[in-house]
Amino acid sequence: MHHLYRSYGRLRVLRDVSGAVETGEVLAVTGDNGSGKSTLLRCLAGLMAPQKGTIVCRLEGRELDVIERRRAVGYVAPDLEFYGELTTLENLQFACRLRHLDDDRAGHLLQRVGLPLNRPAGKLSSGMRQRLRWAWALLHRPRILLLDEPLQNLDAKGRDEVLLLLTEQLENGLAVIANPDPLELPNVARHLHLAR
Amino acid sequence: MWRDICIWLAETATIFNKEWRTELRTRYALNTVGLFAFTTLVTTTIALGPAGISEPARPFVVVLLWMILLFAASAGLPRTFVHEEESRTAMALRLMARPSSLFCGKALYNLVLIFSLELLVAPLYIGVMQLPIGSMRHFVLALLVGGFGLALGSTLTAAMVAQAEAKGPLFAVLAFPILLPLLKFAIDATLAATADQSLLIARGEVALTLGILYDGTLMVAALMLFPAIWNP
Repeated sequence: MHHLYRSYGRLRVLRDVSGAVETGEVLAVTGDNGSGKSTLLRCLAGLMAPQKGTIVCRLEGRELDVIERRRAVGYVAPDLEFYGELTTLENLQFACRLRHLDDDRAGHLLQRVGLPLNRPAGKLSSGMRQRLRWAWALLHRPRILLLDEPLQNLDAKGRDEVLLLLTEQLENGLAVIANPDPLELPNVARHLHLAR
Repeated sequence: MWRDICIWLAETATIFNKEWRTELRTRYALNTVGLFAFTTLVTTTIALGPAGISEPARPFVVVLLWMILLFAASAGLPRTFVHEEESRTAMALRLMARPSSLFCGKALYNLVLIFSLELLVAPLYIGVMQLPIGSMRHFVLALLVGGFGLALGSTLTAAMVAQAEAKGPLFAVLAFPILLPLLKFAIDATLAATADQSLLIARGEVALTLGILYDGTLMVAALMLFPAIWNP
Protein backbone atom coordinates (compact mmCIF):
# COMPACT_ATOMS: atom_id res chain seq x y z
CA MET A 1 0.00 0.00 0.00
CA HIS A 2 1.34 3.36 -1.02
CA HIS A 3 0.32 6.75 0.44
CA LEU A 4 -3.30 5.87 1.26
CA TYR A 5 -5.77 8.61 2.12
CA ARG A 6 -9.36 8.07 3.19
CA SER A 7 -11.87 10.37 4.90
CA TYR A 8 -15.55 10.20 5.89
CA GLY A 9 -16.93 13.55 4.84
CA ARG A 10 -14.68 16.10 6.54
CA LEU A 11 -13.25 13.59 8.99
CA ARG A 12 -9.84 12.43 7.77
CA VAL A 13 -9.13 8.89 8.89
CA LEU A 14 -6.19 7.67 6.82
CA ARG A 15 -3.41 10.14 6.02
CA ASP A 16 -0.50 9.05 3.89
CA VAL A 17 -0.40 5.44 5.12
CA SER A 18 2.20 3.22 3.47
CA GLY A 19 3.50 -0.24 4.21
CA ALA A 20 4.25 -3.67 2.79
CA VAL A 21 4.12 -7.28 3.88
CA GLU A 22 5.53 -10.45 2.30
CA THR A 23 4.54 -14.12 2.45
CA GLY A 24 5.17 -15.66 5.87
CA GLU A 25 5.07 -12.28 7.61
CA VAL A 26 2.66 -10.43 9.82
CA LEU A 27 2.14 -6.69 9.60
CA ALA A 28 0.85 -5.48 12.97
CA VAL A 29 -1.23 -2.31 12.81
CA THR A 30 -1.84 -0.52 16.10
CA GLY A 31 -3.48 2.77 17.04
CA ASP A 32 -6.10 4.30 19.29
CA ASN A 33 -9.82 3.92 18.67
CA GLY A 34 -10.77 5.94 15.60
CA SER A 35 -7.23 6.01 14.22
CA GLY A 36 -8.33 4.22 11.03
CA LYS A 37 -7.26 0.60 11.60
CA SER A 38 -10.58 -0.88 10.50
CA THR A 39 -10.79 1.54 7.56
CA LEU A 40 -7.31 0.47 6.46
CA LEU A 41 -8.29 -3.20 6.58
CA ARG A 42 -11.51 -2.52 4.67
CA CYS A 43 -9.46 -0.76 2.00
CA LEU A 44 -7.03 -3.68 1.84
CA ALA A 45 -9.92 -6.15 1.54
CA GLY A 46 -11.42 -4.15 -1.34
CA LEU A 47 -14.56 -3.34 0.66
CA MET A 48 -13.76 0.36 0.48
CA ALA A 49 -11.74 2.36 -2.01
CA PRO A 50 -9.01 4.72 -0.77
CA GLN A 51 -9.54 8.26 -2.03
CA LYS A 52 -5.85 8.59 -2.82
CA GLY A 53 -3.00 6.11 -3.04
CA THR A 54 -2.66 2.59 -4.39
CA ILE A 55 -2.93 -0.94 -3.08
CA VAL A 56 -0.99 -3.58 -4.96
CA CYS A 57 -1.63 -7.21 -4.12
CA ARG A 58 0.39 -9.91 -5.89
CA LEU A 59 -0.44 -13.57 -5.63
CA GLU A 60 1.81 -16.07 -7.40
CA GLY A 61 3.34 -13.23 -9.40
CA ARG A 62 -0.01 -11.96 -10.66
CA GLU A 63 -1.58 -8.67 -9.59
CA LEU A 64 -5.15 -9.06 -8.32
CA ASP A 65 -7.90 -6.59 -9.14
CA VAL A 66 -10.34 -5.44 -6.43
CA ILE A 67 -12.94 -8.17 -7.05
CA GLU A 68 -10.28 -10.91 -7.06
CA ARG A 69 -8.71 -9.46 -3.92
CA ARG A 70 -12.04 -9.52 -2.12
CA ARG A 71 -12.58 -13.18 -2.86
CA ALA A 72 -8.99 -14.07 -2.07
CA VAL A 73 -8.67 -12.60 1.42
CA GLY A 74 -9.66 -14.14 4.72
CA TYR A 75 -11.28 -11.40 6.77
CA VAL A 76 -12.12 -11.23 10.46
CA ALA A 77 -13.76 -8.07 11.80
CA PRO A 78 -16.12 -7.17 14.63
CA ASP A 79 -18.75 -5.88 12.19
CA LEU A 80 -18.82 -9.10 10.16
CA GLU A 81 -22.05 -10.95 10.92
CA PHE A 82 -23.75 -14.16 9.82
CA TYR A 83 -27.34 -15.24 9.19
CA GLY A 84 -28.93 -15.58 12.61
CA GLU A 85 -31.67 -17.87 11.26
CA LEU A 86 -29.14 -20.38 9.91
CA THR A 87 -27.03 -22.74 12.02
CA THR A 88 -23.25 -22.38 12.21
CA LEU A 89 -22.90 -25.31 9.80
CA GLU A 90 -25.45 -23.90 7.33
CA ASN A 91 -23.71 -20.51 7.40
CA LEU A 92 -20.36 -22.07 6.55
CA GLN A 93 -21.85 -24.46 3.99
CA PHE A 94 -23.40 -21.45 2.26
CA ALA A 95 -19.92 -19.90 2.13
CA CYS A 96 -18.42 -23.21 0.92
CA ARG A 97 -20.86 -23.38 -1.99
CA LEU A 98 -20.19 -19.78 -3.01
CA ARG A 99 -16.46 -20.48 -2.88
CA HIS A 100 -16.82 -23.86 -4.65
CA LEU A 101 -15.44 -25.85 -1.73
CA ASP A 102 -16.44 -29.23 -0.40
CA ASP A 103 -19.16 -28.95 2.30
CA ASP A 104 -17.06 -31.15 4.63
CA ARG A 105 -14.60 -28.29 5.07
CA ALA A 106 -17.29 -26.38 7.02
CA GLY A 107 -17.75 -29.13 9.61
CA HIS A 108 -14.00 -29.65 9.90
CA LEU A 109 -13.29 -25.98 10.65
CA LEU A 110 -16.17 -25.69 13.10
CA GLN A 111 -14.68 -28.58 15.03
CA ARG A 112 -11.23 -26.94 14.91
CA VAL A 113 -12.56 -23.74 16.48
CA GLY A 114 -14.70 -25.69 18.95
CA LEU A 115 -18.17 -24.63 17.82
CA PRO A 116 -21.39 -26.69 17.82
CA LEU A 117 -22.59 -27.51 14.33
CA ASN A 118 -26.30 -27.06 14.73
CA ARG A 119 -26.72 -23.95 16.85
CA PRO A 120 -28.34 -20.96 15.09
CA ALA A 121 -25.74 -18.23 14.57
CA GLY A 122 -28.15 -15.76 16.19
CA LYS A 123 -27.93 -17.70 19.44
CA LEU A 124 -24.15 -17.70 19.75
CA SER A 125 -22.33 -15.80 22.48
CA SER A 126 -19.97 -13.00 21.41
CA GLY A 127 -16.94 -15.27 21.90
CA MET A 128 -18.55 -18.02 19.81
CA ARG A 129 -19.39 -15.50 17.09
CA GLN A 130 -15.72 -14.54 16.99
CA ARG A 131 -14.77 -18.22 16.58
CA LEU A 132 -17.30 -18.46 13.74
CA ARG A 133 -15.66 -15.43 12.07
CA TRP A 134 -12.32 -17.22 12.23
CA ALA A 135 -13.77 -20.42 10.76
CA TRP A 136 -15.45 -18.42 8.00
CA ALA A 137 -12.25 -16.50 7.21
CA LEU A 138 -10.11 -19.65 6.94
CA LEU A 139 -12.62 -21.66 4.91
CA HIS A 140 -10.96 -21.13 1.54
CA ARG A 141 -7.38 -21.42 2.90
CA PRO A 142 -6.62 -17.78 2.07
CA ARG A 143 -3.05 -16.70 1.44
CA ILE A 144 -3.90 -13.21 2.73
CA LEU A 145 -5.47 -12.74 6.15
CA LEU A 146 -6.84 -9.40 7.26
CA LEU A 147 -7.67 -9.55 10.95
CA ASP A 148 -9.34 -6.67 12.76
CA GLU A 149 -9.19 -7.16 16.55
CA PRO A 150 -8.90 -10.92 16.00
CA LEU A 151 -8.78 -11.98 19.63
CA GLN A 152 -11.76 -9.88 20.74
CA ASN A 153 -14.13 -11.73 23.12
CA LEU A 154 -12.13 -14.97 22.97
CA ASP A 155 -11.32 -16.90 26.12
CA ALA A 156 -7.79 -18.25 26.74
CA LYS A 157 -8.59 -21.58 25.05
CA GLY A 158 -10.13 -19.84 22.08
CA ARG A 159 -7.08 -17.58 21.74
CA ASP A 160 -4.73 -20.58 21.73
CA GLU A 161 -6.85 -22.33 19.10
CA VAL A 162 -7.02 -19.38 16.72
CA LEU A 163 -3.33 -18.53 17.17
CA LEU A 164 -2.50 -22.12 16.22
CA LEU A 165 -4.67 -21.76 13.12
CA LEU A 166 -2.92 -18.46 12.33
CA THR A 167 0.52 -20.05 12.65
CA GLU A 168 -0.53 -22.85 10.27
CA GLN A 169 -1.89 -20.31 7.84
CA LEU A 170 1.30 -18.23 7.88
CA GLU A 171 3.36 -21.15 6.55
CA ASN A 172 2.07 -20.23 3.12
CA GLY A 173 0.54 -16.80 3.52
CA LEU A 174 0.65 -13.39 5.16
CA ALA A 175 -1.47 -11.46 7.63
CA VAL A 176 -2.28 -7.86 8.46
CA ILE A 177 -3.49 -7.69 12.03
CA ALA A 178 -5.09 -4.57 13.51
CA ASN A 179 -5.52 -4.14 17.25
CA PRO A 180 -5.49 -1.11 19.57
CA ASP A 181 -2.58 -2.58 21.56
CA PRO A 182 0.29 -4.74 20.32
CA LEU A 183 -0.54 -8.46 20.52
CA GLU A 184 1.86 -11.29 21.18
CA LEU A 185 1.73 -12.87 17.76
CA PRO A 186 3.99 -15.14 15.74
CA ASN A 187 6.02 -13.87 12.77
CA VAL A 188 5.43 -10.15 13.32
CA ALA A 189 7.93 -8.68 10.86
CA ARG A 190 6.63 -5.14 10.49
CA HIS A 191 4.77 -2.72 12.61
CA LEU A 192 2.59 0.23 11.62
CA HIS A 193 1.21 2.68 14.16
CA LEU A 194 -1.69 4.89 13.10
CA ALA A 195 -2.09 8.21 14.86
CA ARG A 196 -5.48 9.83 15.26
CA MET B 1 -16.83 -20.86 -21.13
CA TRP B 2 -19.33 -23.66 -20.32
CA ARG B 3 -17.57 -24.25 -16.98
CA ASP B 4 -17.89 -20.53 -16.11
CA ILE B 5 -21.62 -20.65 -16.87
CA CYS B 6 -22.05 -23.72 -14.65
CA ILE B 7 -20.14 -22.02 -11.80
CA TRP B 8 -22.25 -18.89 -12.19
CA LEU B 9 -25.48 -20.93 -12.18
CA ALA B 10 -24.35 -22.84 -9.06
CA GLU B 11 -23.61 -19.55 -7.25
CA THR B 12 -27.00 -18.12 -8.28
CA ALA B 13 -28.75 -21.28 -7.05
CA THR B 14 -26.85 -21.07 -3.74
CA ILE B 15 -28.04 -17.49 -3.18
CA PHE B 16 -31.61 -18.45 -4.16
CA ASN B 17 -31.61 -21.43 -1.75
CA LYS B 18 -30.23 -19.31 1.08
CA GLU B 19 -32.94 -16.68 0.52
CA TRP B 20 -35.70 -19.29 0.75
CA ARG B 21 -34.15 -21.10 3.69
CA THR B 22 -33.90 -17.89 5.76
CA GLU B 23 -37.35 -16.76 4.59
CA LEU B 24 -39.02 -20.04 5.54
CA ARG B 25 -37.55 -19.73 9.03
CA THR B 26 -38.65 -16.13 9.62
CA ARG B 27 -41.60 -15.94 7.17
CA TYR B 28 -41.22 -12.16 7.18
CA ALA B 29 -41.79 -11.48 3.47
CA LEU B 30 -44.37 -14.28 3.11
CA ASN B 31 -46.42 -12.93 6.01
CA THR B 32 -46.11 -9.29 4.95
CA VAL B 33 -46.95 -9.90 1.29
CA GLY B 34 -49.70 -12.42 2.11
CA LEU B 35 -51.33 -10.26 4.76
CA PHE B 36 -51.23 -7.16 2.59
CA ALA B 37 -52.75 -9.00 -0.36
CA PHE B 38 -55.43 -10.59 1.82
CA THR B 39 -56.38 -7.30 3.51
CA THR B 40 -56.64 -5.34 0.28
CA LEU B 41 -58.53 -8.16 -1.42
CA VAL B 42 -61.09 -8.36 1.39
CA THR B 43 -61.44 -4.56 1.55
CA THR B 44 -61.96 -4.33 -2.21
CA THR B 45 -64.50 -7.13 -2.16
CA ILE B 46 -66.47 -5.59 0.70
CA ALA B 47 -66.43 -2.15 -0.93
CA LEU B 48 -67.06 -3.10 -4.58
CA GLY B 49 -67.94 -6.75 -5.11
CA PRO B 50 -69.16 -9.33 -5.60
CA ALA B 51 -72.10 -7.93 -7.47
CA GLY B 52 -70.46 -8.27 -10.87
CA ILE B 53 -69.08 -5.34 -12.77
CA SER B 54 -70.43 -3.17 -15.50
CA GLU B 55 -68.39 -2.41 -18.64
CA PRO B 56 -67.46 1.15 -17.59
CA ALA B 57 -66.13 -0.17 -14.26
CA ARG B 58 -63.92 -2.87 -15.89
CA PRO B 59 -60.76 -0.69 -16.31
CA PHE B 60 -61.08 0.42 -12.72
CA VAL B 61 -61.21 -3.18 -11.48
CA VAL B 62 -58.17 -4.14 -13.61
CA VAL B 63 -56.15 -1.18 -12.29
CA LEU B 64 -57.12 -2.18 -8.76
CA LEU B 65 -55.75 -5.69 -9.33
CA TRP B 66 -52.35 -4.27 -10.29
CA MET B 67 -52.42 -1.85 -7.37
CA ILE B 68 -52.94 -4.78 -5.00
CA LEU B 69 -50.03 -6.65 -6.61
CA LEU B 70 -47.76 -3.58 -6.64
CA PHE B 71 -48.30 -2.61 -3.02
CA ALA B 72 -48.15 -6.18 -1.73
CA ALA B 73 -44.84 -6.59 -3.58
CA SER B 74 -43.55 -3.24 -2.26
CA ALA B 75 -44.28 -4.39 1.27
CA GLY B 76 -42.13 -7.52 1.10
CA LEU B 77 -39.69 -7.46 -1.81
CA PRO B 78 -37.34 -4.62 -0.74
CA ARG B 79 -36.31 -6.69 2.29
CA THR B 80 -33.92 -8.79 0.18
CA PHE B 81 -31.08 -6.26 0.32
CA VAL B 82 -32.17 -4.01 3.19
CA HIS B 83 -32.06 -6.94 5.61
CA GLU B 84 -28.51 -7.85 4.50
CA GLU B 85 -27.31 -4.32 5.33
CA GLU B 86 -29.27 -4.01 8.56
CA SER B 87 -28.13 -7.36 9.93
CA ARG B 88 -24.56 -6.64 8.71
CA THR B 89 -24.36 -9.82 6.63
CA ALA B 90 -23.75 -7.77 3.47
CA MET B 91 -20.01 -7.58 4.19
CA ALA B 92 -19.60 -11.36 4.08
CA LEU B 93 -21.64 -11.49 0.87
CA ARG B 94 -19.45 -8.82 -0.71
CA LEU B 95 -16.39 -10.92 0.07
CA MET B 96 -17.84 -14.19 -1.26
CA ALA B 97 -20.33 -13.67 -4.04
CA ARG B 98 -20.05 -12.35 -7.56
CA PRO B 99 -22.35 -9.31 -7.99
CA SER B 100 -24.13 -10.79 -11.02
CA SER B 101 -24.94 -14.13 -9.35
CA LEU B 102 -25.98 -12.32 -6.18
CA PHE B 103 -28.38 -10.08 -8.09
CA CYS B 104 -29.83 -12.94 -10.12
CA GLY B 105 -30.24 -15.19 -7.05
CA LYS B 106 -32.13 -12.47 -5.21
CA ALA B 107 -34.17 -11.45 -8.27
CA LEU B 108 -35.12 -15.11 -8.79
CA TYR B 109 -36.29 -15.34 -5.17
CA ASN B 110 -38.40 -12.19 -5.63
CA LEU B 111 -39.73 -13.60 -8.89
CA VAL B 112 -40.95 -16.79 -7.21
CA LEU B 113 -42.47 -14.69 -4.43
CA ILE B 114 -44.37 -12.45 -6.84
CA PHE B 115 -45.52 -15.31 -9.09
CA SER B 116 -46.83 -17.11 -5.99
CA LEU B 117 -48.63 -13.92 -4.99
CA GLU B 118 -50.17 -13.62 -8.47
CA LEU B 119 -51.17 -17.28 -8.40
CA LEU B 120 -52.96 -16.71 -5.12
CA VAL B 121 -54.48 -13.28 -5.71
CA ALA B 122 -55.48 -13.30 -9.40
CA PRO B 123 -57.94 -16.27 -9.36
CA LEU B 124 -59.48 -15.05 -6.10
CA TYR B 125 -59.83 -11.54 -7.46
CA ILE B 126 -61.37 -12.72 -10.73
CA GLY B 127 -63.77 -14.90 -8.76
CA VAL B 128 -64.96 -12.37 -6.22
CA MET B 129 -65.10 -9.45 -8.64
CA GLN B 130 -66.61 -11.63 -11.39
CA LEU B 131 -64.13 -10.12 -13.82
CA PRO B 132 -64.73 -11.55 -17.31
CA ILE B 133 -61.65 -12.94 -19.06
CA GLY B 134 -61.82 -12.73 -22.85
CA SER B 135 -58.43 -14.32 -23.46
CA MET B 136 -56.93 -16.39 -20.66
CA ARG B 137 -53.63 -16.73 -22.58
CA HIS B 138 -53.21 -12.95 -22.74
CA PHE B 139 -54.27 -12.56 -19.12
CA VAL B 140 -51.64 -15.07 -17.93
CA LEU B 141 -49.00 -13.49 -20.17
CA ALA B 142 -49.82 -10.03 -18.78
CA LEU B 143 -49.37 -11.36 -15.24
CA LEU B 144 -46.06 -13.04 -16.16
CA VAL B 145 -44.62 -9.99 -17.93
CA GLY B 146 -45.83 -7.61 -15.22
CA GLY B 147 -44.64 -9.90 -12.41
CA PHE B 148 -41.21 -10.35 -13.99
CA GLY B 149 -40.72 -6.58 -14.26
CA LEU B 150 -42.03 -5.99 -10.75
CA ALA B 151 -39.58 -8.53 -9.30
CA LEU B 152 -36.63 -7.20 -11.29
CA GLY B 153 -37.42 -3.52 -10.66
CA SER B 154 -38.02 -4.14 -6.96
CA THR B 155 -34.73 -6.05 -6.58
CA LEU B 156 -32.74 -3.29 -8.27
CA THR B 157 -34.49 -0.55 -6.28
CA ALA B 158 -33.97 -2.52 -3.05
CA ALA B 159 -30.24 -2.71 -3.76
CA MET B 160 -30.12 1.09 -4.16
CA VAL B 161 -32.29 1.73 -1.10
CA ALA B 162 -30.15 -0.57 1.07
CA GLN B 163 -27.16 1.76 0.62
CA ALA B 164 -29.09 4.81 1.81
CA GLU B 165 -29.59 6.16 5.33
CA ALA B 166 -33.34 6.85 5.06
CA LYS B 167 -34.59 3.55 3.65
CA GLY B 168 -38.34 3.82 4.31
CA PRO B 169 -39.61 6.50 1.94
CA LEU B 170 -36.84 6.01 -0.61
CA PHE B 171 -38.19 2.74 -2.03
CA ALA B 172 -41.44 4.35 -3.21
CA VAL B 173 -39.59 7.35 -4.67
CA LEU B 174 -37.06 5.24 -6.58
CA ALA B 175 -39.45 2.47 -7.62
CA PHE B 176 -42.02 4.90 -9.06
CA PRO B 177 -40.13 5.93 -12.26
CA ILE B 178 -38.77 2.40 -12.76
CA LEU B 179 -42.08 0.58 -12.41
CA LEU B 180 -44.51 3.16 -13.86
CA PRO B 181 -44.01 2.30 -17.59
CA LEU B 182 -44.17 -1.39 -16.78
CA LEU B 183 -47.43 -0.99 -14.87
CA LYS B 184 -48.90 0.94 -17.80
CA PHE B 185 -48.06 -1.93 -20.20
CA ALA B 186 -49.26 -4.59 -17.73
CA ILE B 187 -52.57 -2.77 -17.10
CA ASP B 188 -53.16 -2.26 -20.86
CA ALA B 189 -52.44 -5.92 -21.57
CA THR B 190 -54.69 -7.10 -18.71
CA LEU B 191 -57.44 -4.74 -19.82
CA ALA B 192 -57.27 -6.18 -23.34
CA ALA B 193 -57.30 -9.74 -21.99
CA THR B 194 -60.50 -9.04 -20.05
CA ALA B 195 -62.23 -7.72 -23.18
CA ASP B 196 -63.95 -9.97 -25.63
CA GLN B 197 -63.07 -7.99 -28.75
CA SER B 198 -60.34 -8.93 -31.20
CA LEU B 199 -59.35 -5.28 -31.75
CA LEU B 200 -58.70 -4.78 -28.05
CA ILE B 201 -56.79 -8.07 -27.83
CA ALA B 202 -54.55 -6.90 -30.70
CA ARG B 203 -53.86 -3.72 -28.71
CA GLY B 204 -53.07 -5.89 -25.73
CA GLU B 205 -50.50 -7.77 -27.79
CA VAL B 206 -48.74 -4.47 -28.51
CA ALA B 207 -48.75 -3.69 -24.77
CA LEU B 208 -47.40 -7.19 -24.04
CA THR B 209 -44.59 -6.76 -26.57
CA LEU B 210 -43.69 -3.40 -25.07
CA GLY B 211 -43.78 -4.99 -21.61
CA ILE B 212 -41.42 -7.78 -22.71
CA LEU B 213 -39.06 -5.21 -24.24
CA TYR B 214 -39.17 -3.16 -21.05
CA ASP B 215 -38.43 -6.26 -18.94
CA GLY B 216 -35.46 -7.06 -21.21
CA THR B 217 -34.12 -3.52 -20.98
CA LEU B 218 -34.57 -3.55 -17.21
CA MET B 219 -32.70 -6.88 -16.99
CA VAL B 220 -29.72 -5.60 -18.99
CA ALA B 221 -29.67 -2.28 -17.11
CA ALA B 222 -29.88 -4.06 -13.74
CA LEU B 223 -26.99 -6.41 -14.57
CA MET B 224 -24.88 -3.45 -15.72
CA LEU B 225 -25.79 -1.16 -12.82
CA PHE B 226 -25.79 -3.61 -9.95
CA PRO B 227 -22.00 -4.03 -9.54
CA ALA B 228 -21.67 -0.24 -9.21
CA ILE B 229 -24.50 -0.10 -6.66
CA TRP B 230 -23.21 -3.06 -4.65
CA ASN B 231 -19.51 -2.20 -4.70
CA PRO B 232 -18.00 0.90 -3.11
